[in-house]
Amino acid sequence: MKRLYFRAEESIKAKLIIAIGLLIIVGSSVFWYAILHKQKTDIMSIAVRYAVSFTDYIKERTRYNMLNLHSSDIQKTLEDISLAKGVERVRIFNHAGKISYSSSKEDIGKPVDKDSLACKGCHTEINKSPLLLPEQQKWGFYKDSEGFTALKFVEPIYNETACYTSECHVHRKEEKILGFIAADMSLALLDEAQFKQGLALTGYVFIFIIAISISLVIILYKIVSKPVSELAHGMKMVAEGNLDYSVKVFSRDEIGLLAEAFNSMTKDIKASRHKMEEWTRTLEEEVARKTEEIRKTHASLVQTEKLASLGRMAAGVAHEINNPLTGVVTFAHLLLKRVPPDSEDAQDINVIIEQADRCAIIIKNLLMFARASATEKGEVNVNDVLNKAVFMLKNQEKFYNIKFKIDQHPSPLMTFGDFSQFQQIFLNMLINAADAMNERGTISVATRKIVENAKPYAEIEFTDTGCGIKKEDMSKLFEPFFTTKPAEKGTGLGLSVSHGIVAQYGGNIKVESKEGEGTSFFVRLPLKED
Amino acid sequence: MKKILVIDDEAIVRMSCERALASEGCEVKTAESGNVGINMLENEPFNLILLDMKMPGMDGLEVLKIVKKRWAETKVIIVTGYSTDQTAAETLKLGACDFIEKPFTPDTLAASVAEALKK
Ligand code: HEC
Ligand SMILES: Nc1ncnc2c1ncn2[C@@H]1O[C@H](COP(=O)(O)OP(=O)(O)OP(=O)(O)O)[C@@H](O)[C@H]1O
Ligand SMILES: [Mg+2]
Repeated sequence: MKRLYFRAEESIKAKLIIAIGLLIIVGSSVFWYAILHKQKTDIMSIAVRYAVSFTDYIKERTRYNMLNLHSSDIQKTLEDISLAKGVERVRIFNHAGKISYSSSKEDIGKPVDKDSLACKGCHTEINKSPLLLPEQQKWGFYKDSEGFTALKFVEPIYNETACYTSECHVHRKEEKILGFIAADMSLALLDEAQFKQGLALTGYVFIFIIAISISLVIILYKIVSKPVSELAHGMKMVAEGNLDYSVKVFSRDEIGLLAEAFNSMTKDIKASRHKMEEWTRTLEEEVARKTEEIRKTHASLVQTEKLASLGRMAAGVAHEINNPLTGVVTFAHLLLKRVPPDSEDAQDINVIIEQADRCAIIIKNLLMFARASATEKGEVNVNDVLNKAVFMLKNQEKFYNIKFKIDQHPSPLMTFGDFSQFQQIFLNMLINAADAMNERGTISVATRKIVENAKPYAEIEFTDTGCGIKKEDMSKLFEPFFTTKPAEKGTGLGLSVSHGIVAQYGGNIKVESKEGEGTSFFVRLPLKED
Repeated sequence: MKKILVIDDEAIVRMSCERALASEGCEVKTAESGNVGINMLENEPFNLILLDMKMPGMDGLEVLKIVKKRWAETKVIIVTGYSTDQTAAETLKLGACDFIEKPFTPDTLAASVAEALKK
């Protein structure tokens, strides 16, 4: 991945350099050519101007010499002039092309090259009636025998009154053009200068190209290559899992924005990974919580089963004990009748009777709560059960000084079970509350609908303002025979049997208590779903 | 002299009833099971039966049904160590005239018996 990326990046750089390099080369070549061309045309126009003034001078001299009939002076002038630097030769020839004067004497009398500017500057064809160009082309360039540029300039000498009225009578009045002055000038010096300048220019252009290329590479490295490779490094780090890595932002351009976007993306990824880890953790916690819940439920099921078998056993034992107890009570009473009242024997027998009565009460309680068999199961309205339980207790001595505060759910709370079993549970709750308050105070009872673990329950709350339950007793409340009450008041079976019954129908009992302030019991029975 | 039959599988309960009612001037006989009791009933009439509910073999409810069918005028008091509102109501419906829980005192037994025989 890394290699691939770097190659791509290199190729971006290479492409850019090649493209820009090519542009620079083409651009500077055009520039180079344009400069050279301009220089050349400038030099040429100067040369031409020079040639014009030069031929003008010759023309003047020739005219003067002609009119004064100094034809030999013309030859002399041409020879003198040709001595000047750069002037190769100067010739004068007539319209027929015959050379009359020349700076090199051997040319005199020879015809000019009719294919050259001498004739072609004005005619396209040289015959009897040659075609005329709209304008004469007076000058042209060519390469001389040494390979240097040379300028040829042809200037016509037009007929004038002074010419055909002259005494020599050489020229006729009809002739328009008497002849031509043609000058050949070597531009070797200019050639050399131009070559040198061209060389220098080429050098400059090369230096320019190299300088531009170097700065281009540096700039590319700085604004593209470095940030991009930094970004690539960052991506690699992030891909390897280092989410704390943040890419350096070098600039505010697109690459800088990219780097910033990348950084914020990394941050997002980090945040969502964090979230995911959090979820995983809470999931683990949830699983642990559920596992613990299941463990507890299982434990309580085992406990319920234990209680149930204990209850059955207790019932059997209690029933058997009633028979011998009948004997004890009966014979103690019979004996009591035979001894004088208020005697010591009578007192002793009374103790036997009292203790036997206590046994009877214990057994009665045991049996009452452990009635496993004779139950009548069906639909039960929790509100009805509560009303009946309260009604039963209201007029008992224990509850004379107790006020009931009842807050019932307005509609029936239907649950499945045995009416008298539920009543037994509620009675025990109310009696426990009264005991805790020393039979004086207010018991608040409320029924309501609740939802626990997405299942509807009827909740019955019993709240008292009694002594509360000690912390260390909380775990023992539902154990059979756990009681803090004196022997004649409690057997410690109420809550354990209640717990067994409620669990049997899929409910539960919760306790909240503050020592010295009071206690709330919450009995929850599953609501019958209609 | 009223004749009373005690049907109970427990000897101590039978003895207790005998002794508790002896002073009341009644003739008390006992049977250790439902079958024995019914045999005795076939031989001689009784004014009242003290009947235990839970016995091996024939239980109290069955005996009660037979007695009420064949000796309708014989009164029955149920004596039980194991009662609920429902069983009490059921036996009363079947014709028992009272319901006594064990353990009972001689006085409560005598009072209940006297009440039953008065009717
Ligand atoms: C400056 C322009 C010019 C140049 C250069 C020139 N001619 Fe002429 N030529 C003319 C004109 C204008 C005419 C028209 C008639 C005139 O001379 O009056 C002409 C006519 C002619 C004629 C026609 C015959 C005539 O006399 O009517 C001939 C042939 C001729 N030129 C030949 C030449 C030759 C050969 C050369 C080269 C040595 C030459 N010309 C160069 C301008 C030129
Ligand atoms: N409302 C309450 N306030 C304070 N303590 C309570 C309350 N309810 C129960 N307890 C405590 O829980 C113990 C067990 O109650 P439970 O109903 O099981 O037995 P008990 O009332 O002692 O005897 P029983 O109900 O068998 O007559 C009580 O002895 C008491 O210490
Ligand atoms: Mg209690």
